[in-house]
Amino acid sequence: MGHLQQLALSDDGFVFDPTSGQSFTVSDTGLLILKELKQGRTTDQIAQSLVELYEVDPDEARQDTLDFVMHLKSHRLMKEA
Amino acid sequence: MTELTIGISGINAIDNPGPGVGIARSLKEDPDLSVKTIGFSYDALEPGMYMDWLIDRAFILPYPSGESEGYLERLHQIQTSCGLDMVIPNLDVELPLYIKYQDTLAQQGIKTFLPSLEQFRLRGKDRLDAMADLMGIGCPQTEIVGSSEELTRAVDKIGLPVMIKGLYYKANRAYTMQEAHANYTEIVSEWGYPVIVQQVVTGEEMNVVGVGDGQGHSLGLVGIKKLSVTALGKIWNGVTVKHSGMLNAARKFVEQTEWRGGYELECLVDGDEIILIEINPRLPAWSYFATGVGVNLPGQLVRKAFDLPVTASLDYEAGKMFIRYTYELVTDMARFQNISMRGEI
Repeated sequence: MGHLQQLALSDDGFVFDPTSGQSFTVSDTGLLILKELKQGRTTDQIAQSLVELYEVDPDEARQDTLDFVMHLKSHRLMKEA
Repeated sequence: MTELTIGISGINAIDNPGPGVGIARSLKEDPDLSVKTIGFSYDALEPGMYMDWLIDRAFILPYPSGESEGYLERLHQIQTSCGLDMVIPNLDVELPLYIKYQDTLAQQGIKTFLPSLEQFRLRGKDRLDAMADLMGIGCPQTEIVGSSEELTRAVDKIGLPVMIKGLYYKANRAYTMQEAHANYTEIVSEWGYPVIVQQVVTGEEMNVVGVGDGQGHSLGLVGIKKLSVTALGKIWNGVTVKHSGMLNAARKFVEQTEWRGGYELECLVDGDEIILIEINPRLPAWSYFATGVGVNLPGQLVRKAFDLPVTASLDYEAGKMFIRYTYELVTDMARFQNISMRGEI
């Protein structure tokens, strides 16, 4: 999971990592993905949430979720599986 | 609550700030202590001498690098003049003198809470690799040099770029051999021998400030990440962090060395990898940041020195910010006159 569980998320999309001291800003979609990842939901379940909320194509939602997860891994906020 | 009279040096709150003003502020804000602060200064224009809401009295002292008799005599004069229960020396150049004479001072009724000479030497820049091993973290390749020939050999061995550092102060980065020699000459002329040549390492700049009780226990510690630094490399903005690897390394430092007094660890952190850059044997200029987040380290240090009950398990939140700012104090010339003519205020 990396530092994901410790991340402090604010409702306006400001994210603070208390281990590294780094801060990030994320979009509404990114915030939703982060919140659901912290709850332990799978990428498929998160993609389904995006489909329901934004009425997007399921494949597109799944790809966007995977892309976001890749970003988190590149910032060492999630560990490689 | 008995009032304690405490001498505090390093009240030069300038662009290269000493720790004294932040320490005085911490002691004044400690709800369990009543402290009369005595500022120790080496220059009539050190701002702390004019900050009468934090520094109650202030005195000019002779430089500690000179004859120790003159320095100790001045401490005695100050004690006679306004009382002196304890001194918290905050400048690296003062520490050898205070450490050497801590027993003599104690006999005169002046407490200190400092590391032993052996502990002081252990954390020197020339022993960094041994300390990093002890703490279970890494450190940059380091060579100690005392001549131009040794410098050339050290740079060849480590590879460019390198950091060229004085034993107590100053650090410059050199990208070429010529630059390394120029930096070496500058540091030798200002701070003397030996000179440290160090590998350049990368990572996030993170520091820990803390106090050890001298028996292997931590009396509190706070980790921060530097968000911005001045041209002199001094922290200007920071944020508290809880990097467990770095905080555990600090606890190990206190435990293994049985560190007595304040300390600061300077690290570079890249994920889980922690590189030790320097150990300062005193509280740093940004110590008030720790007080501001609930970990009053100067207060703990004073309590321990006077055998008062220390506050147990001090903790802080990650994500608290520290913003340093400049401020203009307007005062009468008479204050400067008194300091210049009488050496005290």
